[in-house]
Amino acid sequence: MRTSNSSKFAALAVGLALVVAACGSDSSSSPTTAGATETTGGTETTAGSETTAGGSDTTAAAETPAMTITYNINDKAVWEDGSPITADDFICTFDATMNTVGSLSTSGYDQIISVEQGENDHQVVATFKTVYAPYRGLFGGLIKKAAVADCNDISGDFQTDFPFSNRPYKLESWDANQEILVPNENYWGDDKAVVQKVVMVPKADAETEIASLLSSEVDFIYPQYSPETADAVKGDSNVKVSIQFGGDYEGLYFQQNDGPFADATFRQAFAQSIDVEGLMAQVYEPIVAGAKQLTCGPIVPGRYCDETTFQNTYDPAAAEKLMTDAGWAKDGNGYWAKDGADAPEIRWMINTGNTRRENTQAFLIPLMQAAGFNVVADNCEAECVFQKRLPAMDYDLGMYISTAPPDPAYLTGSFTCDQVPSDANNQAGQNSQGWCNEEASALLEKADATIDLDERAGYIKDAIKMMREDWVMLPTFQFPKSGVYRTDKVGGPVEDELNNYAAFINFNQWTDVDGDGQIVIGAEQWPGCLNPITECANSSWYVWTVSFPLTMGVYDTTNDGEYKLTPLMADEPVVEIL
Amino acid sequence: MLRFIVRRLLWAIPTLFIVTFVVYCALRLATNPLASYARANPRVAKDPEKMAQYVETNGLWPGFGGYVRGYFVWLKGFVTGNWQVSIKGSRPVWPNLKIALVNTIRLGLLAVMVSIPIGLSLGIFAALKPGRLRDTAVNTGAIIGFSVQPFISAIILQLFFGVQWAKWFGEPLLPTSGLYPPGHQGFDPVLMLKYMILPVIVVSIQSIASYSRYMRASLLDVLNSDYLRTARSKGISERRVLVKHALRNAMIPIVTLAALDIGAIVGGLIISEAVFDYPGMGVFFLNAQSNGDFPELMPWMVIITSSVILFNLLADLAYAWLDPRIRLD
Repeated sequence: MRTSNSSKFAALAVGLALVVAACGSDSSSSPTTAGATETTGGTETTAGSETTAGGSDTTAAAETPAMTITYNINDKAVWEDGSPITADDFICTFDATMNTVGSLSTSGYDQIISVEQGENDHQVVATFKTVYAPYRGLFGGLIKKAAVADCNDISGDFQTDFPFSNRPYKLESWDANQEILVPNENYWGDDKAVVQKVVMVPKADAETEIASLLSSEVDFIYPQYSPETADAVKGDSNVKVSIQFGGDYEGLYFQQNDGPFADATFRQAFAQSIDVEGLMAQVYEPIVAGAKQLTCGPIVPGRYCDETTFQNTYDPAAAEKLMTDAGWAKDGNGYWAKDGADAPEIRWMINTGNTRRENTQAFLIPLMQAAGFNVVADNCEAECVFQKRLPAMDYDLGMYISTAPPDPAYLTGSFTCDQVPSDANNQAGQNSQGWCNEEASALLEKADATIDLDERAGYIKDAIKMMREDWVMLPTFQFPKSGVYRTDKVGGPVEDELNNYAAFINFNQWTDVDGDGQIVIGAEQWPGCLNPITECANSSWYVWTVSFPLTMGVYDTTNDGEYKLTPLMADEPVVEIL
Repeated sequence: MLRFIVRRLLWAIPTLFIVTFVVYCALRLATNPLASYARANPRVAKDPEKMAQYVETNGLWPGFGGYVRGYFVWLKGFVTGNWQVSIKGSRPVWPNLKIALVNTIRLGLLAVMVSIPIGLSLGIFAALKPGRLRDTAVNTGAIIGFSVQPFISAIILQLFFGVQWAKWFGEPLLPTSGLYPPGHQGFDPVLMLKYMILPVIVVSIQSIASYSRYMRASLLDVLNSDYLRTARSKGISERRVLVKHALRNAMIPIVTLAALDIGAIVGGLIISEAVFDYPGMGVFFLNAQSNGDFPELMPWMVIITSSVILFNLLADLAYAWLDPRIRLD
């Protein structure tokens, strides 16, 4: 899956503001934040968010405040050593995120002028230079000031240790082979750790994970759903598969910065020639019975989705007329060509080895060729797709999964004009479709500065409608998440949070059914180090296995895609527009 | 002999020098460390000064001249122990590489200790009665062993001893991945050996097949030689002929094969290690390669190259020890 940087970033938002990142790798399951998360066994990227910012600079203090948020910290909130969580920890988190060399993303934090102690050390006041609507994603995971030497540069910290926690568990040990979590005795919340030890172990891919589950080596896995998973485990009555629909969505993306899809007419005609319903029946129905097309756009159903936006896109007659009216005619091979030039070749890129996408190509390419479009498969490995060609916009048609975080701010990082890779952003922009619609960009930016949720949703929906009008992408399917576990080894609310952006975050409430004193979770990707804000954190599996389970912030995400206040806070933060 | 060893060691230096330079150039072209660094550090990538500083520090200048200069920067750092840190995670390379190396040597040596005695015994067993049932059985087994690739045998063994056994009896008979059970901490050789049984079997299967075939052919050749016929005609017992004369000479090509095999083991268990999640050099390489992590790949390549050169030298020495007619000097 590809998780675009924004996606990751959303994770970031959730993580450090959740610390996460901008793009990572996910594989099957692993989304991070908003963007495209794809995977395969390999790498994913994220869509979205990373942005700009630059470090907390000295000029910031001169900027005009537009908004303040006052956070009141719960008096009972303490770190794993019993020391109180104070405003200093918020300030350290902000400084580390903004100033550490290699900090993955400063999105959101770059809108903050200052973070200061309020009336006492349990009150924090953050002053923003703009009205920043996605503020719930900020301070999603705190950094303990006492655990680092210099809050302005933590790049050298957390290589192999994560020496603090304000969650039910704390880290006992971590290496390349396993991570061991034990109860945090000083945790003050009601949801204390149930099992004495939680172990996470790396597994190379979904097949290895399943084999480990079947051989009882691990108790729980979280693979990207596939029918093969269900088939592989159905002979074992002690294994249960739970499927839920969360933030993952798959789509077809049209790179329009250059190449054949730079021609708006050609792009629209192509998109209108794609038989999405046929695709659903041929490719997605075998995966999940009753599969329905996702019609929201690059977002999943919920507050920000208008399900009519991408309905009825298939209209071959209109496509034919459009092409003809624009002066295109079919050549001797039956492909659309114009002005005596050769018919343009459309390079369709997917990651090699993804059976579903290969099946999609096998189904659609002959149909599109029959419709007059010279489509050719142009695939490569996941790393090549998500780390190289997508960022370089070296494709015409792409297909991948993205993961939407609870806040739609990832759309700004993934679809606005200033995020199109260019010299201006050192080719680091996340808008790998190359779509630039100034009006839509303005709407998305306005949405990010609108606190009222309904008004904000209106802007988002309007921007997505422009994506439909410009044919930026075609959403296909809200992809299921799956948790697979052994009922003879683990019990409790195992299935309750599988949709959560923070994945299996509630494992502190799971129970040890077989009495071996531990729960073992298989992880598809393994972090190379534990730093929560540098490249170490650039994957969904990092945040699922390290930062989410160890660092609590202001808000947690919920299973239905919302935010909820954590026990860290005494009350709801007070937002004041100046 | 001493002169030979010294001469070979001296030759090894330019060999290593040339090989590492070629590998350096190839890896830089293949991984593009600057781009990998930029991908891993998107904010730094936006700062031309910091990128230029990274280039200077790590010798990543462009062009052939830049590669030559960069190679010497790398070489100096490598020789003085001032290794470049990894791109992913900016961590020191040696600690993880050392663990991977020890694990692979452990696995490789165990596999050699299993495969050489069994393979040679089977080869001798077959050669003593050529054309008979035992010979046919050994040959057939060797062909099957050759044909079954490690990723096939590994999966079959995992499915049988892990998955299927657990379905039948509730618990797997043998562990199917890792070096210890999840949650285990500390060093426990007995437990570790249990976890290494299946990887060792997989690594040994093809080696046993290989050694048995070579031993059979070599021994048959020696057994039919004139000097053994002469020895027998002098009334020397068949047992003495076999042990004292035939086996020693038949071992000469086997030693070469074994030395090369052992030398290659350090980097040659990639598939088996990957399938069993065994934390060795193979898995280290795969991770480094997928991250395009040049600072991790170079030391890995140097260790592999050095290992092959070292064991070639040992093969030559063993050759001389086994056959006094060979005059190394």
